[in-house]
Amino acid sequence: MPKAGKKVAILSIEGTNCDAELNSCFQQLGADPEVVDLKQLTGEVDDPSLRRRLADYDVLMFPGGFSAGDYVRAGAIMAARIRSALGKELFEFVEDPAHLVGGICNGFQVLVELGLLPGRPGNRLSAPQACLTTNDSARFECRPTFVSWEGGNFRPFSATPKGSVYFFPSAHGEGKLVLSGTEGTSLKDLEAAGQILFRWVDPDGEPAGYPWNPNGSEGNVAGITNPEGNVFGLMPHPERAFSLTARDRVLGRPTRHPVLTGREFLAALL
Amino acid sequence: MTQSERDIPEGPTLPMLKTPLPELTRLLSEFRLGFSPPEIERLREYFSKEGRDPTLVELAGIAQSWSEHCSYKSSKIWIKKYLALLTDNARSLAMGDAGVMPIDEEWAYALRIESHNHPSAIEPYGGAATGIGGILRDVLAMGAKPVALADPLFFGPMDLPRKDLPDGVKHPRYLFQHVVSGIADYGNRVGVPTVSGSLTFDRSYIGNPLVNVGCVGLLRRKDLVKNRVGALGEKLVLAGGLTGRDGIGGVSFASKELSGKSEKESRPAVQLGNPIMKEPLIHAVLAAVEAGLVSGMKDLGGGGLATSSGELVSAGGFGSILHLDRVPVREKGLEPWEIWVSESQERMLLSVKPENVPAVETLFHLHEVPVSVIGEVAEAPWERLYWKGKLIARLQVPFRVDPILLERPVRKHGRSHGTPLPAPTNSWEDILSRLLLSYDGCSREPVVRLYDHEVQGRTEVAPVSGDVRTPTHSDATILRIDPRGPKGLALAVASLPFVGAIDPEVGGSEAVVEAVRNLYATGARPDALTDCLNFGNPEDPAVMGDFESTLRGLATAARGFGMAVPSGNVSFYNLGFGSGIPPTPVVLAVGIHPDVDRVVTTSLHSPGNLLYLLGETDPSLGGSLYQRIFGGHETSLSPSDVPTVRAMGTAIGELARQGWVRSCHDLSEGGLGVALPEMAFGRGLGFDVTVPEGKGLPAWRALVAEGTSRWILEVEPRHSSQVESALSRFAFRQIGKVTPSEGIYRAEGKIQARLDLAALYPQWRDFLRGER
Repeated sequence: MPKAGKKVAILSIEGTNCDAELNSCFQQLGADPEVVDLKQLTGEVDDPSLRRRLADYDVLMFPGGFSAGDYVRAGAIMAARIRSALGKELFEFVEDPAHLVGGICNGFQVLVELGLLPGRPGNRLSAPQACLTTNDSARFECRPTFVSWEGGNFRPFSATPKGSVYFFPSAHGEGKLVLSGTEGTSLKDLEAAGQILFRWVDPDGEPAGYPWNPNGSEGNVAGITNPEGNVFGLMPHPERAFSLTARDRVLGRPTRHPVLTGREFLAALL
Repeated sequence: MTQSERDIPEGPTLPMLKTPLPELTRLLSEFRLGFSPPEIERLREYFSKEGRDPTLVELAGIAQSWSEHCSYKSSKIWIKKYLALLTDNARSLAMGDAGVMPIDEEWAYALRIESHNHPSAIEPYGGAATGIGGILRDVLAMGAKPVALADPLFFGPMDLPRKDLPDGVKHPRYLFQHVVSGIADYGNRVGVPTVSGSLTFDRSYIGNPLVNVGCVGLLRRKDLVKNRVGALGEKLVLAGGLTGRDGIGGVSFASKELSGKSEKESRPAVQLGNPIMKEPLIHAVLAAVEAGLVSGMKDLGGGGLATSSGELVSAGGFGSILHLDRVPVREKGLEPWEIWVSESQERMLLSVKPENVPAVETLFHLHEVPVSVIGEVAEAPWERLYWKGKLIARLQVPFRVDPILLERPVRKHGRSHGTPLPAPTNSWEDILSRLLLSYDGCSREPVVRLYDHEVQGRTEVAPVSGDVRTPTHSDATILRIDPRGPKGLALAVASLPFVGAIDPEVGGSEAVVEAVRNLYATGARPDALTDCLNFGNPEDPAVMGDFESTLRGLATAARGFGMAVPSGNVSFYNLGFGSGIPPTPVVLAVGIHPDVDRVVTTSLHSPGNLLYLLGETDPSLGGSLYQRIFGGHETSLSPSDVPTVRAMGTAIGELARQGWVRSCHDLSEGGLGVALPEMAFGRGLGFDVTVPEGKGLPAWRALVAEGTSRWILEVEPRHSSQVESALSRFAFRQIGKVTPSEGIYRAEGKIQARLDLAALYPQWRDFLRGER
């Protein structure tokens, strides 16, 4: 038997629909992932064997999708449910610097709605300090996109060279990051604190407008971290760029830098 | 027939036995129960033997099962004759709500296509959305996880002047926008990628747009579920959405023509979709299947619980007891008959062994999906419905479920004599740009982007491919089956209504051939297809004649390629406001790709590579895009020779496995003229080709002809001799080479067109952008 890898919880409620492929990616990377319904963590299950405890995991992932339909505002309903039913456990989980919490697309929206991103020092669950709002195009769009890492506090990336470019497809209608601008949460503040995880770039790694920034996000921000660097969220989908052939196929012409995929990103989390 | 006192159903009845026939017919139609004279005769005979009048609940249930939509009564004999007996169907693992085909020892796939035409004409957003909901359930009912959606759509012309729009008809642009939004909002939320489809715009679809939707699912072979109950005493478990008043009478609405009154009369027949009920329903059902808790399953679609429960128990050879008051409802005051026939969405009926019921309930509760044991499997042949303990219906299942099959009169289609198109006087540049910059010839990317085609992470080749900076059309979409292996599913959709309008048999076969040609172009092998047969009024012998001819063509082609047709759908009564649609068989073909790392795509690869044309060019232009844009009445067709197409396609697959085909594109709408720019766009390259010409083949016809079956292949010079010798037994010739820019077409010894592809690309790509 191979040594069991990190335990990853992929949290789902009705409408989170990118859980299975994220689970499959972590399995292929040798981790020990599991899709866990929120009710399994809060204990609302008929069968006690379904009960799970957050503290038993190393990594908590919020996958993409349309949690509860996203009919109010993307991520808002799931965040409200978690806040009321799992707030304390989540706070304790995040407080441990050895734990990692991540959100992809809808999961990022949930973390922002929870106030965990961009977050305040000390990881208190607080009022949201930002919002992921409707794309400038006013449409849901599914398209190949690229992001770059320019250095920051994201701990899993301590060994990753600055300027690395990744191919992560995006598919969202509400991905434009708008910061409240209150103390500590302006774009400048996040940059100074190393909280910018990824910026949208073109295939050559250069900042560019639509469609390379598919939503009009301020400063081309595609993903951010909390001040401690153990909570992160990003709009595009690394789990959809797991095969190298898919990447090679979308890059029919040469690019300035080698382009990495979701495989490298997700492996760094483990 | 004797029966105990307590076995006589209570509740309001319809006086059937004593009412004279004309009066009875009037009475039935007053209750909106559309029975034909022989059906009324059958009803009277049955209830005379019973010695009682039918209750209204009983009649409502019978009407659902006997409707055209549910029973296929007009088409069944033809489907049986042409499709059901195809030898390759023996390879299928099941032919139920969806067909199921094996992939290997471990995996299988399910496939089905359906129409949601009438609801979409009245309420395009909801109609398109619930169409997806229905097809997902069909695939789910086999125990398969839906992994791909395909949406072939047909509308009137986008630029139709308002004055040409009949009263009560919605403008094609409005229908297009709302259908696309409905697909996007439902499909994206439910987490199944929309990876294939087609868009056709023509005046013949003004009064009756077509909204077809196909679905492919993946399952482990051990998880295959049959659409029948397993044994006496099994519990019938209803899971999913709550039951309401929406979608009542949907099947009768689908089984008649649209008219100016449809808007008002039939709104209630359009169901309401809820993807956020469907998504967890899929999870819960698949979890229950994987745990081996489900003995049989069926989705609730047309005709609601009445049809679904009837077919589920009938297929198992049993009867049933159902308590309608145990159906979870959305609103108070629903009548039993409404619960019985409601088409409320997102519901599945499971047959579960009594000891497995608690485990099933646990799974559905975990996913927050309502679940209720509403009855059980009983002795054949009786179906008994109860309402608060009272018996309200008691019928023999075979009588209730099996309709009288019709052998409607058939009249053969006479081929009309057309007029050959004259040689064009405009330049080739003008011809080509008008073909490319048309609603039918332009890029589908603006629509593709609105659909999540990547969710589930299986998409290896999206509907648009090439470099991200300049995507172009793919021939077939490729999905990876299992991340641990190289195999892929290849999906392609095709229909040729304008060929079918000239000769329905050719239209039927060419729809198969075109879809298959797309599969071959990627290196895949065709395996099975599912068809949606959209036709006019089956009571019109000419329509039935077209239907039969189409089926014959379709079946002949499927047999020729060794493909199974394990599922399909028939949609009649597609005529509204006086104009019928052309015979429109839509084919969703599925192929198996042996190695997704070696998929061939359409984008030209490198300057200097050689371009070859595989297949014989024929001058016919009947049904072509050229004729539709420039006008004319040519009716000449050049059908494909299926064995030759199969041999050529198989050869492409072998060359692809060797890595000798750099890119490949089939010729379809717009022929050679359109295919070459599409290939060049993908990497921003160019080409320099000589268009074939000869005796009886003017070069301008060779430029835009679509007939027979042809592909363009790009080959590196170092592989040219191997490729040439492998294909020497076919019509195969080098036509030119790949260049860094510009599209040059040569004929008659000179350059006929020089296209500025870099300037043309953004116009082609963005042509539909403002429309969605």
